[in-house]
Order: sequence, then C-alpha cells, then structure tokens
Amino acid sequence: MIGKSKLVWPLLAVVAIVQSAALFDMVFARDRLLKSGQEIALAVKPLDPRDIFRGDYVTLGYDISTLTKSTTETDPDFTGFSVGGPVYVTLASGSDGKWTETHVSSQYPSKVAPGEAVIKGRVQSLWQDGNAAVTRVIARYGIENYFVPEGTGRALEDKVRSHEVKAIVAVAADGTTALKGLIVDGERHEDPPLL
Amino acid sequence: MPEMWSPYKNRLKRDLERWQSNGWVSGEGRTAILADVESSGREVGLAPALGILASVLFGFAAISFVAAHWEDMPRLGRLLLLLATIWAGYGTAGWLVARGYPLLADAAILFSAGMFGASIMLISQMYNIGGNPSDGVLMWWIGTLFAGVMLRSNPALALAMVLVCVWSFFETSEKNGVHWAFLIGWALVTAAFIWQCWRPGLHLSALALSMFVISLGYQLSGGYQHGLVAVIGALAAVAAVAMEKLQPDLDAKLDHIAAPLFAYALAVAFAGLFARQFLVVPPLGDLIALAVVALALILAAIAYALSTGNRGALWIGYIGFSAEILTLYGVTVGSILGTSLFFLVAAIIVSFLAYVALRLARQSAGTGRPA
Repeated sequence: MIGKSKLVWPLLAVVAIVQSAALFDMVFARDRLLKSGQEIALAVKPLDPRDIFRGDYVTLGYDISTLTKSTTETDPDFTGFSVGGPVYVTLASGSDGKWTETHVSSQYPSKVAPGEAVIKGRVQSLWQDGNAAVTRVIARYGIENYFVPEGTGRALEDKVRSHEVKAIVAVAADGTTALKGLIVDGERHEDPPLL
Repeated sequence: MPEMWSPYKNRLKRDLERWQSNGWVSGEGRTAILADVESSGREVGLAPALGILASVLFGFAAISFVAAHWEDMPRLGRLLLLLATIWAGYGTAGWLVARGYPLLADAAILFSAGMFGASIMLISQMYNIGGNPSDGVLMWWIGTLFAGVMLRSNPALALAMVLVCVWSFFETSEKNGVHWAFLIGWALVTAAFIWQCWRPGLHLSALALSMFVISLGYQLSGGYQHGLVAVIGALAAVAAVAMEKLQPDLDAKLDHIAAPLFAYALAVAFAGLFARQFLVVPPLGDLIALAVVALALILAAIAYALSTGNRGALWIGYIGFSAEILTLYGVTVGSILGTSLFFLVAAIIVSFLAYVALRLARQSAGTGRPA
C-alpha cells in the first residue's frame, strides 16, 4: 500500500471513480440496448430437463441455437465458421408473428431486407456428418440465461417445457442482443429500463 | 510476534547459542544480530493476515446481504448499494493509512476489488447477461490491476494475477485453441510486481506462466505438443544455469532470480516430459529411450540443485524422480520389461544417485562449504 502521503486520498478517489464509471458504463450500454434496440420475440424451445435449471436462472433454448445446413439447402454463406468465432443469423417475422431464420453467415450479411433483424452469436461447437453433407452449428447469443426470483424458477421451467414461453429480445444495429424479458401465457414479464 | 511464526528466527537463536559457546560470536554480537532480525520484519504478521481474511469475510457478508435484499430493492438502489460498498472499502483504506496501518489498508483495498467483481456479476444478472463469463472477468482483472498499480497494493495485484488465470481458463473453455491474450495480462501484472519489487508476486507470475506453458502441450496440435513444453522448460533451465554460472554479477543484481527460475523451468520441463511419456503412450522402445533421458535430466538437475543449494529445485527433482519411477513401474508391469528387471534398473539408478550425493558431500566437505 502506498505510504502515508498527501496523495493517498486523491488516488483512492481516482480508483473508486474509475471503477464506478466502468460499472456505470456497463449499465448504461445495456440500458440503451434494451431501450433503443429492435424488439423481436423468439419462441423458447424445451431443453434437456437436466440442463434447464441451474441455480436461480432458467436456461432457454431457441430454434436458432442449433443451425443446420443440409445438401438440399443452398445458402452460400453458411461456411467459414470456427469454434469461438461469430455467427450472424438473419431473422424475418412471418405473418403469424413468428421470427424464423432466413440466412446464416459467418460475416455480417451484406443485404438485410426491411423488417428483418440480424443477431450475432458465438459458435460453441461445430458438427459435420461423414461426407460433410450436413453442417451443424451450435451457437450461443447471450440470451440463454434468464435470472428469476428465488424459488420461482421451477414453475417457469415447466412452462418452458410446455411451449408457453416466448423471449423478448432487443437487437442492436451490430447484432448484439439483450434479453429483455419473457412472454409467459401471453403476458409480458419485463423489468423497466433503469436510467 | 509469537515465536512459532518464525522458524528462521528459532533456528538462528539456537545456532547463535552454539556459536557463542564455541566462542565465535560475542554476547554483544548475538544480541545485535537478534535485534536486527527482530526489526527487519520480513515475515507476514498475524494482524495483516487476519485483516486479509476479515476482508474476505466482509466481502461475503456484503454479497449475501445484497443478494438477500435483491428483490425488495428498486434496481437503481441495488446499483447504488454496490457502488457504496466499493467506496466504503476505499474510504476505510484511506482511514487506516492515516492511522498508520498500511497493511490493514491493503485488506480494505482487496475487499473493494472483490466487491468490484461482485458488482460486475450482479449487474450481469440484473440484465440477464449469461453468455460470456470471461468478459466479466476481463473487466474485473483490469479494474483490480488498476487499483493495485494506483494504490501500490500487493494483495490487489496478486488478485489481478489470479483473475488473469481465471479469465484465460474461461476463454480457453469457450473456444478451441490457445488463449494467447493471457500473455498480455500476465505481462502487465508481472510488470507491476517488478515495479513493486515484490518477490512473492514474482513467484505467482512464474507459477502462472509455468501452468500456461504446460497447458500449451495439451492444446497445440490437438494436444500432442508435450515435447515442445519439455524443450521450452529445458531451455529456460539452461538459461538459468548459464546466468548463475556465467553472469553471477547480473544474477546478484537481480536478487538471485536464477535459482527459482531454474526450479520453475525444471517443473515445466518435467511436466512436458512426463506427459510425453505417459499420456500418449509411445512404443516401448521410445518410452524406454524417453525414460532414460528423463531420469538422466532429473538426476543432473538434482545434482545441480545440491551443488547450488537450490532447495526448491531439489524438491521438484525428488518429486519428479519419484513420479517418474512410480509411473514407469505402473506402465511396464506385465510388459516385456518385467517387474524384477524394473526394480533392478530402479535400484541401479538410486545407487548412482546415492553415489553422486556422497561425492558431492565429500567435495563440499573438502572445500569447507556446507552441503
């Protein structure tokens, strides 16, 4: 520790201010994303029950958590993935309000139609069958964990399993995502922005 | 400080009594030496050690309190509470310095650095950020390193080094491949240790780097690069020996850094050789050749450690020798080598070791140097 000098208090203040500012920046960036990001609703998929409940958060699975390319599809950009690298998924809203993937790429897509949303994920694992006819990308988007008040996770988990849950996701222009809240039985559960 | 906290002092006291009765040291000299040892105070005191432990407990208490009242609190209130705990820690540190307790102030700084990390985790939870724990730890070690450098706090710097390792561990488990960015974090914290002239910190640095180099063997080319690890360790050991033998002045100037460097390098080299021999089992002929090389190197290292009084390297040599022999035994049992032949070989090696030790002891007795 720095010795007894006049500088002690100013230095302590600088450290406290810088650390506080870093935390504020974290909150501010997240808040802005929640407020100004494009909002999409994704159906939550039932997961392996052993995996769903860990501590006080539920783990959410999505259709886009596993991206598959088969020989019958000809998406030319579905290539060049590496574990730990990025994956960009273009989503479009159908007439029933369901968001589904229209395009998958390892780079930010050059063409995005109006009304579509691009979300960025991180490749967790890659899988190919013997003759490389089918490529499967397991991806995470940072919207897989929803923290719940203690003791209420189990009920929510049952709903996730019986297809009654949708996730509200905010999407920034660069594809960064934030989980805003959940729609459970048509009812929105969401914390208001902080700032 | 109670006597039991200082084995060195106890031993010195006994030796001084003997030296005094032999007439080599005068009564005044003995008193002066003991007073000097008493005042130099290089050892960790009980109060700062308890202070560090208390700060850890305070940290857990604060986190449990925040977590218990999490739901009742407006979210802005949560954030302000987290910031308040951080500021309270730094405020306490300033107060303790002003009262003349710099070591206890270090404990308060450590508390604040811990609360900074807890805040990152709780904010992540508030915003359902789950995906990349490594990003949170990255922010944590940078903030902790900043605090450690600005306030010249060694415990905070030690925490930063531990966090760099945790960060690297998360990054490595999230993607395939070596996390080279570890070296940047490692170099920054190590530079701070050097600036602080804090030897325990440098040991932490050496340990972290050794683990990183050893982990390379498990990650490069699908996990078959243990030979490279052994070569890196051996080269570092040779460099340490060269420094000790060819540049003793430089070594003395650097506070005799070569001896611990040799010990860590030896551990890395042996970890690589061990994995190369036993994790991916090579053909028996190769295994025997590698085992002979490994045992020869270990014996050479033990001999060198004995001749230079390098206790750390000596222990690593003994542990390496035992691990090598026991694992060789396990691997070769039932193979063409046969158990009896194995014990014969082991016995010959140990006899050779004893002979070397005896010769060295004679040599040092001859030159009047303690073994």
